[in-house]
Amino acid sequence: MDVAIIGLGIHPFGRTPGKSGRDQGVHAARAALKDAGMEWSELEFAYGGSAAAGAADAMVKEMGLTGLQFVNVSNGCATGGSALQSAYMAIQSGMFDVGMAVGFDKHERGAFRVDPKGGGLGKWYGDVGLALTPQFFGMKIQRYMHDFGISEDALNLVALKNYANGAKNPNAWRRQAISYDEIANSMMVCDPLRKFHFCSPAEGGCAMILCRADKARQFSGKRPVFLKAVSMKTRLFGSFEVFSQSQALDRADAPTVQASKAAFEQAGIGPEDIGVAQLQDTESGAEIMHMAENGFCEHGEQEQWLREGWTNIDGKLPVNTDGGCMANGEPIGASGLRQVHEVAVQLRGEGGERQVPGAPKAGYTHVYGAPGLSGVCILSN
Amino acid sequence: MTFPVQSGCPACGSVNVESIELEREGTLWTWTIQGFYPQRPPYDGPETPEDFKPFGVGYIELPGQVRVQARIKTKDTSTLRIGMPMKLVVEKYIEREGQQVMAYFFQPANEI
Repeated sequence: MDVAIIGLGIHPFGRTPGKSGRDQGVHAARAALKDAGMEWSELEFAYGGSAAAGAADAMVKEMGLTGLQFVNVSNGCATGGSALQSAYMAIQSGMFDVGMAVGFDKHERGAFRVDPKGGGLGKWYGDVGLALTPQFFGMKIQRYMHDFGISEDALNLVALKNYANGAKNPNAWRRQAISYDEIANSMMVCDPLRKFHFCSPAEGGCAMILCRADKARQFSGKRPVFLKAVSMKTRLFGSFEVFSQSQALDRADAPTVQASKAAFEQAGIGPEDIGVAQLQDTESGAEIMHMAENGFCEHGEQEQWLREGWTNIDGKLPVNTDGGCMANGEPIGASGLRQVHEVAVQLRGEGGERQVPGAPKAGYTHVYGAPGLSGVCILSN
Repeated sequence: MTFPVQSGCPACGSVNVESIELEREGTLWTWTIQGFYPQRPPYDGPETPEDFKPFGVGYIELPGQVRVQARIKTKDTSTLRIGMPMKLVVEKYIEREGQQVMAYFFQPANEI
């Protein structure tokens, strides 16, 4: 059974002092209902999550106590993606016809604070200064650049593109383009990654309404966008993941490779059919590695792709058209949903200043996060 | 093979695992430099934000065994290169309630 997205809602990402994460989620949920032309009371279920802004189900007292099934989702960086996947499965199973996936968050400034004990790592790991995600990103791209001849220029070009895209997105946090030189000369954070190569934890909310595709017209007058595949995979023994105290000598494919293959198989199309993509850009290095891990190019070809501008909005595969995590920040609960939101906006042709030309028919989203999991969605008109 | 010891094998789930001694020398497989003062907690290093100096971290490939994540002890972080020989160093990290807390590091072999 196909699943359709019939309502999209977002609360601007960034910093909203005086507004709780949950209130940003409520804002997004109301916006999604308005977009679909629906009432909260029509929804049969909701899956929602946040990492740092409290239980999502508490939002029902603002939305209305209608008795719907509401499940809180907590799955690290894939929280938003997992809420969506849960909603997708709830409809596919035939149990429900229509419901919502919602996510929001509000993080403190600076790098994510990690609880090494909670993550099964031992207190010593935090004591000695190893429990920091930016280190992982630095170490992973350092090795990747060594193995596949990727240059610092490529890191700068990814950031240049994403901030330029963010400037065209009214919901983005960073709405100003940043010059190449400013990026290339920004403070070194975790070698070879600099300040403007990184996204930052932030705030925001995102919601969408999903339903059985064959009932889309019944629920909403909005043109539906279809979820053709949803796939999530966790790490295999030998892949290089965040917070690994050791790694096997024999390397395995990243979870992204597994999730991507499974999604393309489910959708029955290939990377060449995708007209717009959102690839997790926690930092420039991640977007570069994810271009290849998701099957859009070979390892090492990213240099040429970026120099030729093939991932720009007018390129052959526009990537992170809304500015990605770099321009939007990463509110964990909402981030994976934002990616799907943007691709759905593009497929509807509602991207405004950042609309991909040529009316793309299929889109792709990819989220990656701690402790080594990856979620992929394929959408189509 | 894993570091540290764990109760099950991450490749196959078997609980028939045993402890072995790891090599004390290896090569630097990848690295980065922690450029900002880590959040405290969980960080419990000897420095304050004022006297903090960026430190190296990396994975050291122990021949035929496993790659181990470690802090890197070096006089000059700008000399770090993939493939350089490294040696294990165990030394005092901080004092806590009058007791010395030891930590392991890897240091470029040419500095020892």
